[in-house]
Amino acid sequence: MNGRSDTPNKSILAVANALRWEIGEGLHDSVTADLYREAERIAGVVTARSGKGQRLDLDRILDRILTSRAFGFPTMFLLLALVFWLTIEGANVPSALLSTLLVDQGHPFLKSLSAAFGVPWWVSGPLVDGTYLAMAWVVSVMLPPMAIFFPLFTLLEDFGYLPRVAFNLDFLFRKAGAHGKQALTMAMGYGCNAAGIVSTRIIDSPRERLIAILTNNFALCNGRWPTQILIASIFIGVLAPPYLAGAVSALAVVAVVLLGIAFTFLVSWMLSRTILRGTASTFSLELPPYRPPRILHTLYTSLIDRTLIVLWRAVVWAAPAGLVIWLVSNISIGGVSLAAHVVQSLDPLGLLIGLNGIILLAYVIAIPANEIVIPTLLMLTVLFHGIADVGTGAGVLFELDSPAAVADLLHAGGWTLLTGINLMLFSLLHNPCSTTLYTIYRETGSVKWTLLSALIPLVIGFTVCFFVAQVWRIVVGV
Amino acid sequence: MTRTEIEQCEICPANPNAKLLHLGAKIDGSDHIVALAGNPNVGKSTIFNQLTGLRQHTGNWPGKTVTRAEGAYVYDGKRYKVIDLPGTYSLLSTSTDEEIARDFILFGRPDVTVVVVDGTRIARNLNLVLQILDITDRLVVNVNLVDEAKRVGLSIDGRALARELGVPVVLTAARTGEGIPHLLHEIANLASGKVFTKPFRFVTTSKHVQRGVEQLSQLIQKAYPAIPNTRWIALRLLEGDQSIIDAIRHGELGLLATTGRRDEHVAVEGAGDERTQ
Amino acid sequence: MPDPLLALSIGIGVMGAAAYVLWPRSGLIARFQQGFLRAKRVLMEDALKHLYDFEYRNLSSTLESIAGALGINGDEAAALVTRLETLGLIVRRQADLGLTAAGRSYALRIVRIHRLWERYLADETNVSEPDWHREAERREHYMTGEETERLSKYLGNPLYDPHGDPIPTSFGTLPGPRGTSLASLEEGRSATVVHVEDEPSSIYAQLVAQNIYPGLLVRTIEKSSKRIVLEAGGNDIVLAPVVAANVSVVPHEQRIREDRLHRTLGDLRPGESARVVGIAPACKGLQRRRLMDLGIVPGTTIVAELESVGGDPVAFRIQEASVALRRQQANFVFVEEISSGGNV
Repeated sequence: MNGRSDTPNKSILAVANALRWEIGEGLHDSVTADLYREAERIAGVVTARSGKGQRLDLDRILDRILTSRAFGFPTMFLLLALVFWLTIEGANVPSALLSTLLVDQGHPFLKSLSAAFGVPWWVSGPLVDGTYLAMAWVVSVMLPPMAIFFPLFTLLEDFGYLPRVAFNLDFLFRKAGAHGKQALTMAMGYGCNAAGIVSTRIIDSPRERLIAILTNNFALCNGRWPTQILIASIFIGVLAPPYLAGAVSALAVVAVVLLGIAFTFLVSWMLSRTILRGTASTFSLELPPYRPPRILHTLYTSLIDRTLIVLWRAVVWAAPAGLVIWLVSNISIGGVSLAAHVVQSLDPLGLLIGLNGIILLAYVIAIPANEIVIPTLLMLTVLFHGIADVGTGAGVLFELDSPAAVADLLHAGGWTLLTGINLMLFSLLHNPCSTTLYTIYRETGSVKWTLLSALIPLVIGFTVCFFVAQVWRIVVGV
Repeated sequence: MTRTEIEQCEICPANPNAKLLHLGAKIDGSDHIVALAGNPNVGKSTIFNQLTGLRQHTGNWPGKTVTRAEGAYVYDGKRYKVIDLPGTYSLLSTSTDEEIARDFILFGRPDVTVVVVDGTRIARNLNLVLQILDITDRLVVNVNLVDEAKRVGLSIDGRALARELGVPVVLTAARTGEGIPHLLHEIANLASGKVFTKPFRFVTTSKHVQRGVEQLSQLIQKAYPAIPNTRWIALRLLEGDQSIIDAIRHGELGLLATTGRRDEHVAVEGAGDERTQ
Repeated sequence: MPDPLLALSIGIGVMGAAAYVLWPRSGLIARFQQGFLRAKRVLMEDALKHLYDFEYRNLSSTLESIAGALGINGDEAAALVTRLETLGLIVRRQADLGLTAAGRSYALRIVRIHRLWERYLADETNVSEPDWHREAERREHYMTGEETERLSKYLGNPLYDPHGDPIPTSFGTLPGPRGTSLASLEEGRSATVVHVEDEPSSIYAQLVAQNIYPGLLVRTIEKSSKRIVLEAGGNDIVLAPVVAANVSVVPHEQRIREDRLHRTLGDLRPGESARVVGIAPACKGLQRRRLMDLGIVPGTTIVAELESVGGDPVAFRIQEASVALRRQQANFVFVEEISSGGNV
């Protein structure tokens, strides 16, 4: 360890540099080839193959079926449809149960409890009516579908099916400058965009990963499904004869989902040709062997790793949102509540793009969690239009039992078919929720990409709603 | 003297995990540091979970573990800190994951590096093993998924592999826990210095490259007599590896002289291959 | 509420204006950036680069050559040269202009950034070949020394740019030009392309269109004063001698087996197997390293296993693993000994 002065270091580097010019560029290639040759020799010495394994044949047969022209896509659609169906059907009962427990019973209970202890209204209001209710809402809407969707998805992943989906769909994504694995991050996004963003880790090429992150919001997440279904049945389903109403409103929701997919491809294509043109890009996709999934283990880890973490973040963000909702509806300036001031100033812009000030305010407040958009809308509508006998007070979220009641309320609030359609469009095309934005920031470590991922859908949303509104008014006249 | 074979009774199934205590994420104050390396999707996270008692998600899909996971366990009275490095195919390319893994093994100086190898894809995984053997000699090769290999009709001779590589080899089926006691035992032996390795070091075949490596490694040898594998350093310099260039420019290369030998001084004679004790 | 017709026309107008401002390459912002390139500093740097380029190629540079290379008139060129002279970066000699030591090191720094950028664009991105130079011309003026070193480190300190020009080291050292002109290659000799001159761009565009790049193996089939016919990658390429003069090659000592470089992994049908001969030199950087990481190295036997529903990508069995490659990647991998009995 002696004589370690600067001079030998410098001369080592100088000699290395000169030798590099001399040896040229083939070094990496020849070293790698040598390594593999050696690895193969050793592997030959230490392994022995005894006949043909059965599993390998089974793998091959499965692959032939799952990637064949005849069965590839039908199998994929069937499996995905099954996952979604199980999620929606399975979540209904526990969601209703949680809602009864946390909202219908928990909320009055806490109210009476605070009353019994003599807690003043300006404490119990923001805490119980605001914060608690928003959290309760998010939990009851979000938890059951996620607790079903994520484990199902993880089972498909552990089995090894998902890489085959990426394999089959890659040709579509390649044309948009993206990676086939983006199909899976999108599918994950239908559950929750934040989880979808985390799942982009499976894409190891930097450019394709950024594309997947920036476009994940176009996958309609679990928090937005209820809005779509409700508005579709109130405004579009009623246009059809009663026996077709269900099918028509379902078709309307599917149309919105397909529009989201179209925007995913369009924006991916534009990104890869403009701002992400100079970003590193490579393709690799391994098809791992099929492995029998360990169901209990999967249930446990997907519950811990995905569901609870995402839920926790959502709850943490929903709490302050509830507080804000209560405060804007209860703090008054000059005899008019804060919310009224905001709604009035947002109204011209909202009406211009076929929405209204209440919707815009609801979307600003609901940045933390899209689940609370509908209850916020209802509460604000009641508040502003002075509708009696509905709701439970300023700043207190509520939901109505039947879609018909909601429809009456919204019509009373001045909503038209255009408002309904544009709300569905805006629900698809607006900034991601704060949980997702935070996740994007965590994953990219960059403010720039986070801002961009909020701005792109927002600008598209305003533009699309604006043009739809003007064309609608010219053609339909209202 | 090199010893890679273990008396079977020490690790017999009658006494499997008696000496093991999972510590989960309680990682402070460890006696030894163990790094887990390996290709993506070889069950590295499953091994990590088996050692630490944690439950990192393990998907059948490369690229699950991205952030560096850490955990700990106690074995035979000693505390071990385990670091799950990102899965990589190689250490020669320049992706961030590879840099993290490489720099940790090189500069983080773990007491033991466990390379997890997919038993159904030995040849492909050995590529990485050979590269890591070039950096460190405190290596345990863990051939995982032997149950799967058996199902596809592949049998692996662990002893032969240990002979070829000159380091301990453990066969495991981590999903069922098979072989984990043996792995714990080998890690402990290597960490405490009970077992010494004589790692296989590969030689490139290109005469052109060989000459360059020879010339450069002599220079390095002269400036840093204590560095075990100057040929590898030379090769990396010829590839233009920035972290090695920086290490030389800032005079940090001397740190490598004690790679994996923090608690004992070992005399080194000649090239790194002939290590005496 | 405003009249919808009016609102619609205003909306369309705003969209049009936004497109006019933001449109890549021809929009206002892009044009403003291009205009900026004509700024003083940029002109100076370009002039230094030009002088350096001529010096490297043993040509003598003059006021006229500067004016021509930078696309400015004689007066502007004279003013530019005077300014560079006062700054001590160039000297006027009897017949031509020369660089001072300071000027040369300045020029080398710019050349280094330019070539590193080209390398990055070629290796890591899918920016098309004619755009490499233009993009690098733009970026070379806006890099700090630290950013340059980071880029170099990221690329693994490359030695050559994608045209085969050496990249100066951070100390400013550089080897002399390599190879001989393709125009002077004897008939029947094979050689490896080591450099493709990227200026003038009209000739470079022809070379790119003929798919000639550093690393390509070529063989002259026919040679006359009017044309040179080459065989490369299984195709015949016809070049005018002026065009061929812009390509440098290193002739091979022995002749290469002729059929070797004609088939690629992309030619395999499911079930067929073949042995890898090598990866095309056009596949570089990250992409190339990834392929090698996957085990695609000379000598490996690969079986085509599965086509995806869309026919692309195709899954190959490589060293016991199933790996999907896009056709564009598979076409980079040269193979031999294709056989259809490929059941592993």
